[in-house]
Amino acid sequence: MFSKIEKSPILTLALVTVLFLLYGYATSLPKITDFIIFCIFVIGFDLLYGHMGQLSFGHMLYLGAGAYGCGMFAYHVYPDPFLSILVGVLLGAALAALLGTVVVKTSAAAFALLNLALNEVGAYLALSPLHEWTGGEDGLSLFFESYGWVDFNDSTFRFYFCLGALLLVILVVTAFVRSPYGILLKSIKENETRVKFLGYNTFVYKYVTFIISGAIVGFAGALTSVNLAYCNTSLIAPTRNVEVIFAALMGGAGTVLGAVVGGTAFMTISNYLASYIVRWEMFLGVALLAFAFWFRKGIWGYARKL
Amino acid sequence: MLLSVENLDVCYGHAQVLHGVSMHLNEGELVCVVGRNGAGKTSLLRTIGGFMKPAGGTVDFDGQRIDGQPLEQVALSGLKYVYQDKRVFGELTVRENIELAAYPTQVGLDEAIAKVVDIHPKMNKLLDAKAKGLSGGERQILLIGRALIGDPKLLLIDEPTEGLAAIIIGEIINILAAMKSKITMVVVEQNLATVSRLADRVYVMKEGVFSREITDAASIADPSTYEDEL
Repeated sequence: MFSKIEKSPILTLALVTVLFLLYGYATSLPKITDFIIFCIFVIGFDLLYGHMGQLSFGHMLYLGAGAYGCGMFAYHVYPDPFLSILVGVLLGAALAALLGTVVVKTSAAAFALLNLALNEVGAYLALSPLHEWTGGEDGLSLFFESYGWVDFNDSTFRFYFCLGALLLVILVVTAFVRSPYGILLKSIKENETRVKFLGYNTFVYKYVTFIISGAIVGFAGALTSVNLAYCNTSLIAPTRNVEVIFAALMGGAGTVLGAVVGGTAFMTISNYLASYIVRWEMFLGVALLAFAFWFRKGIWGYARKL
Repeated sequence: MLLSVENLDVCYGHAQVLHGVSMHLNEGELVCVVGRNGAGKTSLLRTIGGFMKPAGGTVDFDGQRIDGQPLEQVALSGLKYVYQDKRVFGELTVRENIELAAYPTQVGLDEAIAKVVDIHPKMNKLLDAKAKGLSGGERQILLIGRALIGDPKLLLIDEPTEGLAAIIIGEIINILAAMKSKITMVVVEQNLATVSRLADRVYVMKEGVFSREITDAASIADPSTYEDEL
C-alpha cells in the first residue's frame, strides 16, 4: 500500500498534507511547524547521505548559513520575509559552492570530518568575529513585514507556508532523484570508480548535488529564522549534527518520504519524550543502536513493503 | 597500431607485479592473455584501462598516451573494460544500467537497448528487473552489452567465463566470437578451450612478464602446446 503511495506524487503529497494537518491541529501548530522545517532539513541532508552515499557531520553549517542569511538580511537590510528567505537559500547554496570545491574531492571519513571542521569554523565565526552582524551569543531578534493575510507573525500562516514549502521540496527532490541524474547518484553511491569508467566526471555531479543539498538545508535554516523570529548560534551548533543523521537513519536513508518520516519521528521523540524522561537522550541512543544494527532500512524502509 | 604497451612496470606498494611488459595490438585483433592466478594478468588489464597508474612504461591507445589520464577520459577515448567480478549496478534496473552507459556516449536509449538485446535477445524481458536479481551469465552479458554501447574501439575483458555454468560459457564464447570481426579485444582468460576458439594471438604471462607470444593458428588451436607453461 505504502509503496503505491510513494510511486504517485499526488498521493504522496496528499498523505503528507493530511497527516501534518491532523498532527498540527491535534497538538500545536507552532510545534508541528518546527517538525515540518526539520523534515526539509533532513531531506536536504539525505540527498547527500542516502542518495549519494556521502555522510556529512557538518550540515548544521548550511542550516546556519540559511538562518543567518535570512536573519541578517531582515535585521540589517530590509525585513521582507520572501527576500530574506531567498537570501538564506542563496547563502546556503553559495557557501556549499565555495566549500564544495574542496570538500567534494574527499570521501568517507575525510568527507564527514572535513564538514564537521568547517561547521566548527562557521560556528566560531558567527559567535565571535562576526558578532556585529550575527549578534554573537545573543543572536538577532527578527521582525518581518506583513502584506495583508501574508503575515509571518501569525503562527497559522507560518504553519501553512512551511507545509507548502515542504510539499514543494518533496515534489522537486522526488523528481530529481527519479530523473537520470538521480540514477547516476545511486550509481555513484554503489561504485564511483565504475561510474567514472563509463565516462562520467563524477566530481561535477557530486559537486552540483552538494550545492543543491546546501540550498535545501539553507531553505530550512531560513524558514527556522522566520518561524522563530530570531536566529542565534544554536542554529549553527556542530553538536546538533547528530539530530539530522539520526532522523535520516530512523526514517530510512535514501527515500524522500523516509526523510519526512524520520524527521517527524525524531522531533516527536525529542519533544514529547523529554516531558516524561529527564535523560531522554539515553533512549534515543539505544534506538540509534537498534536502527544501525538491526533496522538498517529505517521506519519507511519497512513500512513501504506493507 | 591501436594499442601499444611499452616496458610497463606496475607495483602494489613495494611489491612489483609487472616487470617491463610490452604488448601491441592491431585493429580487429582478438588477443588473449593467459597465465596462472597471480601472474599479473588482471593488473595488466587494469593498468591499460586506467584503474592503476604504472610505476614505469607507457600505454598508447589510438595514437594518444593514456597512462595517468583520468579514468573518465580513458573511457571516452573509446576503450571499455568488462570487469572480472561481474558486478553491475545492482540497485538499478537493467534498463537504467544501459541508460547510464548510453548517456556519456551520446547514444539514444532505444539504440543502446537494441545493442544489448542484439547480443542476447532474452535481455528484452529483463529490462525492468533489478540488475542484482540477474544470474551470473546474464550479468556478464549485460556488462559486455553495456560496454559495446557507443561502438568503442577496444574492449578489455577480464575472465569472461570465470564462475559460470558450462552452458552459459558456451553462450558467452558465441557472443565473443560474433563480436570478433567487429571490435578489437584483449581477453584475460584461464579457460584454454575458450582461448583456443577465440584468439588470434596469445600472450603467456608468468610472474609479471610475458614468457611467450604465440602467433601461429595451429599452436593456438591446440592448448596442449602451451598449457605446461602456465
